[in-house]
Amino acid sequence: MRLGVIKAYMAKEFTDLKRSKMIFLVYLLPVMILILFGYGIRLEVKEARTTIIDMDSSKLSRELCDSFIHSKYFEAKIKNIDYREALEEIKRAKTDIVIIVPPSFERDIAKGLKGEIGVFIDASFPLRGQVMQSYVEGVAFDLAKKLSPQKRPTIMVNQRLLFNQSLRDENAILPGLIALALLVAPAILAALLIVKEKEKGTIFNFYSSPVTKYEFLTAKLTPAFLLHSINIFIAFLIATYIFEVPFRGSFLLFLIASELYVATAVGIGLLVSIVTKTQIAATVLSMLITIIPSFLYSGMLMPISAMEGGSFIEAHLFPVMYYSHILYDTFLIGEGLGSSKNIIYLVALAAYALILMIAGSYLLKKEL
Amino acid sequence: MKAFLTIVLKEIRLFLRSTGLVAAVLFFFLVDVYIVGNDIEIEPKNVKIGYVDYSDSPLANRILSKLHEPEFKPPIMFKSQKELTRAIYEKKIVAGIIFEADFERRYTRGLNTKIDLLLDSTAATQSLLTLNYLQKIILSLSERTPPVELKIHKLFNQNADTKKFMPLAELLSILTLFGVILSASVFVKEKEQGTWDIMLLTPVDSKVIIFAKTSSQVIILFLLTMISTGIDLFGIFDLPLNGSFLAYMGLTILFLYSIAGIGLFVAAVSNTIMEVAQWSVFLMMPIIFLSGAWTPIYSMNEYLQYLSYLSPLRYYIEGVESVLFRGTATADLWLYFAGMGAIGAILFGIGYKKIGRLF
Repeated sequence: MRLGVIKAYMAKEFTDLKRSKMIFLVYLLPVMILILFGYGIRLEVKEARTTIIDMDSSKLSRELCDSFIHSKYFEAKIKNIDYREALEEIKRAKTDIVIIVPPSFERDIAKGLKGEIGVFIDASFPLRGQVMQSYVEGVAFDLAKKLSPQKRPTIMVNQRLLFNQSLRDENAILPGLIALALLVAPAILAALLIVKEKEKGTIFNFYSSPVTKYEFLTAKLTPAFLLHSINIFIAFLIATYIFEVPFRGSFLLFLIASELYVATAVGIGLLVSIVTKTQIAATVLSMLITIIPSFLYSGMLMPISAMEGGSFIEAHLFPVMYYSHILYDTFLIGEGLGSSKNIIYLVALAAYALILMIAGSYLLKKEL
Repeated sequence: MKAFLTIVLKEIRLFLRSTGLVAAVLFFFLVDVYIVGNDIEIEPKNVKIGYVDYSDSPLANRILSKLHEPEFKPPIMFKSQKELTRAIYEKKIVAGIIFEADFERRYTRGLNTKIDLLLDSTAATQSLLTLNYLQKIILSLSERTPPVELKIHKLFNQNADTKKFMPLAELLSILTLFGVILSASVFVKEKEQGTWDIMLLTPVDSKVIIFAKTSSQVIILFLLTMISTGIDLFGIFDLPLNGSFLAYMGLTILFLYSIAGIGLFVAAVSNTIMEVAQWSVFLMMPIIFLSGAWTPIYSMNEYLQYLSYLSPLRYYIEGVESVLFRGTATADLWLYFAGMGAIGAILFGIGYKKIGRLF
């Protein structure tokens, strides 16, 4: 390792990055991922368009309608139409929920029979369908509780929401998105920096010059690593200032974990650059092995604890899970190093970075 | 016309010859669609919950036994509230239920009692589900027949099956990405390899060259879509086809030309494939996220809602959803055709003008 050689090589890389406008990719891509997905992904359902057909028009049915109308989860309208027309509205995506109160609703309940309410839900977005169902059930539950005779003692459910009291989507999603952004962008950049030389044939300069493998790698990967280290701060600022996600843990832990994670991403890019020959293939391959696992295993859409079999093992194979656990901890929970799981995961990240780098430098050939 | 066909065939042959690209593309259209459809299950299932039972009562057991599969894993017992909280903090479980020591005693004496429920609200859907279940169970304890009953019907997707929606959304997203990349690189390839000038020297009208090159990629992408639709969507995931398949094909072709228009623009402004890749990723993400593929449009920020009219994918995805799931009649689809036609004409017009200047 000769420092002079590395320094010269690195200066060349930085100039290259500036000239080829790659520098835009470095900062634009992660920022775009965070902002677009941050505004774009909405898991909560607000103001679900609800059509109520009240065929009963009794005091009780009106009370039920009112509780839908006054709920912030529904944007309910009582319409005097045939139920077939209402279903047609769902078909045309004009409404999300149709609630039908049958003519005998109040009478049945007075007689001690079951009052049945028909509910139709648009489940084209399955998750939304599930959430809307929960909301409707909640309203019906409140009504049922009011109606039930007070002979029996009641059991209260005293719920406490941890970590994200206001149930903001931003809080639940942004940490996962940071895990996505800081994996995809460094991997693509690192892969392209090396494959570019392969495709253009300039890699022969390296083959024939006395630069060693390690000097070459240090010079190639350090810029990718350094440039993306700045992204750690950018991501942090976007999350806390633009999306107002609370930060309850230690910034130092966040920083160390993030640097290790960026190093891991660079390592993935290095491996990609070894198996691909063209830039287009390198881009596609790095996206393939980073984007989907990040979405699946960051715990953003689905908690790791709810995974089973194959996906449970896969989740543990990708570095995303370890990093996003620490991220959610530092942003929302704040256990820090007090939790042994965080320490283990931090070590796992370090191991990933180290193994990928060693494997990459071992596999890189200095001749044809 | 002959020149047109020759160029189309040449480009298709060139595509087939680059085995690496063919393999990658096939992987995305077939395997990736399968993986996403199979692995992403955002509906709450297998939710892991824990409990502390200081009351050690049959009533608590009765409540717990009703939290069962497939929604819940068997609840895990913890010795103290501290351990339970720790498990939630370390994300081992999503929800924790605490029964106080006097829980059943108060209940049998006819006093009001309570259950403490701790929820990890970063997993909001799962938490909501747990809360709802618990309330339903409690209601069923105190009443023989609940006075109000809901008959819930979910439309289009009877059991709210993610497996039917995710692969479709993924296929359409992939189509968008490759639509831009392939239709741009068919031009930029010539620039990068230095054959651009030779192309200019051929005695073929530039209009023909542009249309032929674009059409060749549209044909390739169309075939890939059909293969993926046949094998993955209809074959593996068993998607319904409630409308006309012809309308589906028509929408696909219209969409591909709109995307190719974006590809032409990218081709005009980039000189290397690397720039194409950057531009494509850069343009693809807003197109996908404004389309409503992953989030319904009316739940977006107001400005984004207006912007979403610009995404050709919006018209495509709503149109395809209507054809496949809702079974909307072809005549009622005119809005999607018109919207996409208009956006497509604008995009293709801009792209065509931009690349035309280079000829």
